[in-house]
Amino acid sequence: MEERFIFPQKLKYLTYALMAIGAIAFIVGFFVDAGRTWANYLLNNYYFVSLAIGAAFFIGIQYISQAGWSAAFKRIPEAMAAYIPFAAVFFLLLYFGMSHLYHWAHHSAAETDELIAHKEPYLNIPFFYLRVILFFGLWIFMTKLLRKVSLREDAEGGMVYFIRSERYSKILIFILAVTFTLFAVDMLMSLEVHWYSTLYAGKSFISAFLHGSSVITLIVILLHKYGYLNVLNKSHLHDFSRYIFMLAIVWGYFNFAQFMLIWYGNIPEETVFFVKRWEGAYKALFYANIIINWFVPFLILMPRKTSRSKPVMLPVILLLMIGQYTELYYDIWPAVVGSAKFGILEIGCFLGYLGLFGYVVMTYLAKASLIPKNHPYLDESIYHHF
Amino acid sequence: MSKKFLIGVFDDESALIEAFEKIREKGVKVEEVYTPYPIHEILHGMGKKTHISHAAFFYGLFGAIGILGFMYYAAVIDWPLHFGGKPFNTFPSFIVVSIVATILIVTLATLFTFSVRAKIFPGKAAPIVDVRATNDKFIIVLDRETIAGMESEFDQLFRSHGASEVYEKE
Repeated sequence: MEERFIFPQKLKYLTYALMAIGAIAFIVGFFVDAGRTWANYLLNNYYFVSLAIGAAFFIGIQYISQAGWSAAFKRIPEAMAAYIPFAAVFFLLLYFGMSHLYHWAHHSAAETDELIAHKEPYLNIPFFYLRVILFFGLWIFMTKLLRKVSLREDAEGGMVYFIRSERYSKILIFILAVTFTLFAVDMLMSLEVHWYSTLYAGKSFISAFLHGSSVITLIVILLHKYGYLNVLNKSHLHDFSRYIFMLAIVWGYFNFAQFMLIWYGNIPEETVFFVKRWEGAYKALFYANIIINWFVPFLILMPRKTSRSKPVMLPVILLLMIGQYTELYYDIWPAVVGSAKFGILEIGCFLGYLGLFGYVVMTYLAKASLIPKNHPYLDESIYHHF
Repeated sequence: MSKKFLIGVFDDESALIEAFEKIREKGVKVEEVYTPYPIHEILHGMGKKTHISHAAFFYGLFGAIGILGFMYYAAVIDWPLHFGGKPFNTFPSFIVVSIVATILIVTLATLFTFSVRAKIFPGKAAPIVDVRATNDKFIIVLDRETIAGMESEFDQLFRSHGASEVYEKE
């Protein structure tokens, strides 16, 4: 089934405009308040790379579980995963902001601080970038490999590509589980260098999967709205909702488990994280995170009727996209900026990245048939019904 | 007083669905359909709706509120104890128990509700219309009273749609 997505010229200009807004916001930001701008840089980079990783993980899960229903939609997560190489460049450029973001990156930190000295064999700038390069290298290699196999399946057909994709997916989810958790520890947890939580990495991974799945659903719904992906039916929507619903519960579980153990254990090294974040706007964000990322999707996507209705799913997904932002904001801002500042700078930076992400996703959507042509489960996906 | 039934035995799914839809076109209520696995058309066609998920939701809601309320009563109102420098209302630690207890309450209450509604209890003899329905045959059961006077017509309908056997049973 050949279906071509055409990247509309107007949308292209819109993404350029958004990117320009982002660039201006960053340039002005670096002159006005460099620390806060670097915090924005880290947040938005992490935000969008986590969506891409979530999408890559989604593809892997579909192949391993040999899921039939999602076969027609696998080009969307593929296009999202194509953002990873762009993110790699931005993460390498993070080098210039290390001293603004990470306390441990200061030369004097390890000399005066025993704990940082103890962590130095792992947390030092050369090894940090070695890991970044290794992780991104693995992610790019694996996602490009899956994409290549997927496109060759389109061209030639046959079971051999499906079997190969499944084998690669098994390697992919193993790589993602190990590397992305370490990546979250490096990028976010090491902001609070004295603090540690064994659940933080798991929570970050689930969060990436949750928000990645939500954005996949969002793109599918939007494409359907503008006349593409006519195969989409209520059962597909219900299955997407199930992913969001299930992952929202797991997210809630991880988030609560981390908080509850720290609260109950009451060890100063651990509670320091929440003590800092227990005042003013951060306290409100703590509850907002739980309501946005767990409570609302949990309650609203529970009934059968709402979980297969686009007008209900769309606001929930948009709320979850805000939820990913507030969650990262809650983690990054107290460590880097201190007070909870939110203004034009934050909105501008986010819009810039949104434009770039949209541009990359739509470019890659236009590069191949929107519905894979020779996927063995394609018919099952088109006639999916329950 | 026992009802009389007209029973059509089919060998495959598509034949059963065709016959099923023909019967419904005639406006006759199908008493029951037995198949080795669930079939969407039958599930929708029978038009049976369940409210057990609503029941389960409210069991869960009341279970969670009940357990939280009980723990609050026990730990704060009735017998407050200081331990570990914690406040009496150790809410985060109540949640763990609430989750587990709510799952148990929902499971048991829903199972009980289902058993009562479906009139199933341990030791009940299964009312098997045709033993082959538990194996590989597809079976439509019609109430004789609803098709009174048209028995031969439905007998024909079953056979013309590939029923391997049609018979009557009390």
